[in-house]
Amino acid sequence: MQHRVHRLTRRQSLKLLAAAMAASLLPAFPGFAAGGGRWQKPIPNSNKALPVIGMGTWRTFNVGNDAKLLAARTELVKTFFELGGGLIDSSPMYGSAPDVMGHALSKLGITDNLFAAEKVWSPAGGSAREQVADLQKRWNIPQFNLLQVHNLSDWREHLAVLRELKAAGKVGYIGITTSHGRRHDEVEQIMNSEDIDFVQLTYNITEREAESRLLPLAAEKGVAVIANRPYNGGSLIKNLKRRAEPLPGWAAEWGCTSWAEFLLKFIVSHPAISCAIPATTRIEHLQENMRAGLNPMPSAAARKQMARFIEAV
Amino acid sequence: MNSFASYQLQDFVPFSADVYFRLLERISETWWPLHLVSLTLGAAALMLALFVRKYEQRGRLACLLMAPVWAFVAVVFFIQHYAQLNWAGNYVGYAFLAQAILLLWLALTGFGLSKTPATKIGPVAGSRLAAIGVAIGIAIAVTGLIVQPLIAPLLVATDSGSSWWQAQVFGIHADPTAITTLGLMLILLRGWRLWLVAFMPMLWLLLSGLTLWVLEAVEAVLLFSVLAAALAGCGLLSGRVTKVT
Repeated sequence: MQHRVHRLTRRQSLKLLAAAMAASLLPAFPGFAAGGGRWQKPIPNSNKALPVIGMGTWRTFNVGNDAKLLAARTELVKTFFELGGGLIDSSPMYGSAPDVMGHALSKLGITDNLFAAEKVWSPAGGSAREQVADLQKRWNIPQFNLLQVHNLSDWREHLAVLRELKAAGKVGYIGITTSHGRRHDEVEQIMNSEDIDFVQLTYNITEREAESRLLPLAAEKGVAVIANRPYNGGSLIKNLKRRAEPLPGWAAEWGCTSWAEFLLKFIVSHPAISCAIPATTRIEHLQENMRAGLNPMPSAAARKQMARFIEAV
Repeated sequence: MNSFASYQLQDFVPFSADVYFRLLERISETWWPLHLVSLTLGAAALMLALFVRKYEQRGRLACLLMAPVWAFVAVVFFIQHYAQLNWAGNYVGYAFLAQAILLLWLALTGFGLSKTPATKIGPVAGSRLAAIGVAIGIAIAVTGLIVQPLIAPLLVATDSGSSWWQAQVFGIHADPTAITTLGLMLILLRGWRLWLVAFMPMLWLLLSGLTLWVLEAVEAVLLFSVLAAALAGCGLLSGRVTKVT
């Protein structure tokens, strides 16, 4: 595979500098604390706001038709909504996860909180329209709030279809996704050339590549950002727990009582990040995750201190 | 970042450990007490492979017993259950069905099945190597029939496991079926025919071992050990000396 080398022109450099300055001038938390001190951030160019902690379903919601686990995941979704959660993200790549969401929603009913995010993904087969229709049936909902092109697969074709669906009022927002820091050049190109509402990418305290170009660009373009892999696939939490590393005393100042809150608050306090989507199967872990969306949020200086601390560990 | 280099093993396993072990549990609960029949069948196949007087008949009878077992695991384990969690499950199920057909074909035609025990072929040195290969086969078959089903109860006894129903049993679950079959084939076949029939069980042990490794399950170590032993056994039974008839 050939890699393109991008040399910035003077014009691009000036734009990048302007974007960086714009990002630095953004208020530390371009959001607001809703009821119960729970942080929400507005979706750019819209009158809707999202709770900063959402929920991912990769691996955790792929339980097939196991009645016991279906009941457990339904309970998880119920708790998520009770704690003020909004965005739930899934994909046709995640096995039975869309069906499991459908099961949970049929038991719980569709709440106003729900912000249903799905994806189209070429290997799943069928056209983008067919995939969306199928996924709506599986989720048991009339339409999705957000449709994304999964991992940029055939993004030109899929994005064109999603744009038509949005124009027809069949979806609220559209976007693209990537993960693991893959294909950032292409993501940047799409953000520059296409009219999208959301971009989903990997951003966590040890994977901060997006800070250099994509997050300032998202702020400049008014694109909401969903941060996936907030715990780096679980390894961040596992490593900290294995080392029995205690939380630094100063973390309490920002309301952190667990490593989960520490790591998630770092992510969602970035001005350009709209929402993080940790995945879990356990209610107690979900409760920890949701506490990360509560006041107070770390300041820019505190975020630097957090990153330095983790680098040292 | 290079797209391919950024992928990790865990990116290819779309379910968590609790879900996988619940799958094993559900299959066990659904099909109990078929376990007793399948274990009896496995033990009978091992006895036939070792003790039937006419050597050629040993292989044909053992393959005849194995074929329906592979077909059952293909349909029940992979196509009905595993495919719910992993889209690749259907394809593995079809591969298991193909293996069932291969075993049935061997049983009906006797193609490639040895007429003489491997240990009685060629010069003494070769016979010794072949004897080691066959001994490895016996050990592997016993591992599939007895050792692997004991892991779940042992984990429960040491407070590391959650249910006896997670015990994996020959003829019901994929791993012990592949292990036991691999052991039997080491006892009965040699040369390229051995590699042909051992390929699918070994491939599954590799895939399952990697999956269990990602899920941080102790069984991964067992599967990799069996795979290494089986490769060694196949090597010993495929040498020039043991090919001489």
